[in-house]
Amino acid sequence: MAGKIVLCRCEDVTLDDLAHSVSRGYRDIEEVKRYTGFGTGPCQGKECLALVATELCKLTGQPPGAIPPFTSRPPLAPTPLRLLARDPGAHRFEDED
Amino acid sequence: MRGEAVEIRIADGNVRAFSDESIAAAALATGTRVMSRSLKYHRPRTFFCLEGHCSGCLVRIGGVPNLRACQSPCTQGAEVEGQNAFPSAEVDLLGAVDFVFSRGLDHHTLMTGSSVLNRLANKVVRQLSGLGKLPSTAVRLDDLPEVQRYDVDVCVIGGGPAGLEAAGQVARAGRSTVLVDDQLRPGGSMRADPRTGRGAAEATWRSALAAGVAVLARSTAIGFFPEDDGGVLAVASPDRLYRIYAKSWIWATGGYAANLPFSDNDRPGVIAARAVGRLLVDHGILAGDRVCIVSVPAVADDAAALASALHLAGADVTRVALEQVSGTRGRGWTNALDTPDGKIDCDIVAVAAIPAPASEGARQQGCRVVLDPPVGGFRIVVDDQGRTTVPGVWACGDVCGYLGPAAAAADGARVGANVAAS
Repeated sequence: MAGKIVLCRCEDVTLDDLAHSVSRGYRDIEEVKRYTGFGTGPCQGKECLALVATELCKLTGQPPGAIPPFTSRPPLAPTPLRLLARDPGAHRFEDED
Repeated sequence: MRGEAVEIRIADGNVRAFSDESIAAAALATGTRVMSRSLKYHRPRTFFCLEGHCSGCLVRIGGVPNLRACQSPCTQGAEVEGQNAFPSAEVDLLGAVDFVFSRGLDHHTLMTGSSVLNRLANKVVRQLSGLGKLPSTAVRLDDLPEVQRYDVDVCVIGGGPAGLEAAGQVARAGRSTVLVDDQLRPGGSMRADPRTGRGAAEATWRSALAAGVAVLARSTAIGFFPEDDGGVLAVASPDRLYRIYAKSWIWATGGYAANLPFSDNDRPGVIAARAVGRLLVDHGILAGDRVCIVSVPAVADDAAALASALHLAGADVTRVALEQVSGTRGRGWTNALDTPDGKIDCDIVAVAAIPAPASEGARQQGCRVVLDPPVGGFRIVVDDQGRTTVPGVWACGDVCGYLGPAAAAADGARVGANVAAS
């Protein structure tokens, strides 16, 4: 393994990737997420969000309070789609046309 | 306590296991190591958190991909396979990507010079990336599970020390209470800390049940939908979906085991200290014979407690401060930690970081959170009663900033009493 400091293990995002993102001008947590892909894997940021945000503070000099989390969206954990199929709110394709 | 003896198959080898333990614990106890490969560099991946929150142990079980080995119990004859690797997770030829692009791979500029090359690169990348392969069999429409509805006074999310205590308090005050917990068995961080242990976890769980709390184990809050009938929490268990409606909500989701930034911190064998504690305290498994605990000062007491428990169990334990770590060594699995004073031989590196508050569910409900690195990350903002910024929504324990199991239990009891009195 070649020496890498990995911040997000789902998407293999390293501290170098974060520094590169900041050097390109992407300093907002949502921009960093879109540029590096951190937090978009199976864990959805559970392991990396706090770590990336904290390192982002150090790299940019922003105070912690100025960094919001990225938007949290359902599902919060990997979910088999079959569980949702009978929900009363589920869209029924056979009802169309 | 480990249940009956069963036999499962992991990567075509037979493994003896117990029905009450997870596939991850059985694999670790019998020496199975690398479970899958990472998405981009195909670096070897395996267990890190053992709490169902990281992506390290995704495996294919019985033809179903992307299941977490640490949250899947051992059932007789279960077939477990690694995924995302060719030909196998242990020996993955695609691991060459990691060395070829040792200084990193910027996918924004990869083969974008020529449109022909770019199309080719896209084709190759799409073959290599992605998670697992489709299930072996389709789901039959008749087998789709029903959706179950709960209407309660109070819903507690999280069955660790804070959640179980809070739920017990409100239930004893006569409120109908449901508690959802995502783990194989409730107890949360108590099951990973030698100072509390499995006994305390079982006792707190039993006490909540005796108070009349409906405890849903292996049930994960997957989303809060405010637009639906005044707000509904969707909760997924292995075999059904729950819709939960409540007058009051208590977030007691605790914190996620986090990693620390050092070189090759993702090498298999680098495991959350809490996972090492969980294996020892809850499963009776010593994760390694020589353990290096890497820690930050904020969790020094936790690291010391784990170190002495591991030492008592017969392990050689070395404690190293994060600033002293310059890298890890090993072919696949870790065999040493590098420091400026030389390398320390070990077979497990236990990372003791401040757990990161699991606040994303509360965020969906509109609760304000703030980044507070000294207590782990984005903590839920609460007043001195435990009220969040959203009416009817409360929070307690590590999700409001790291406390540790004993203090989290006390915080849960306190906030639970406040909810009961409100």
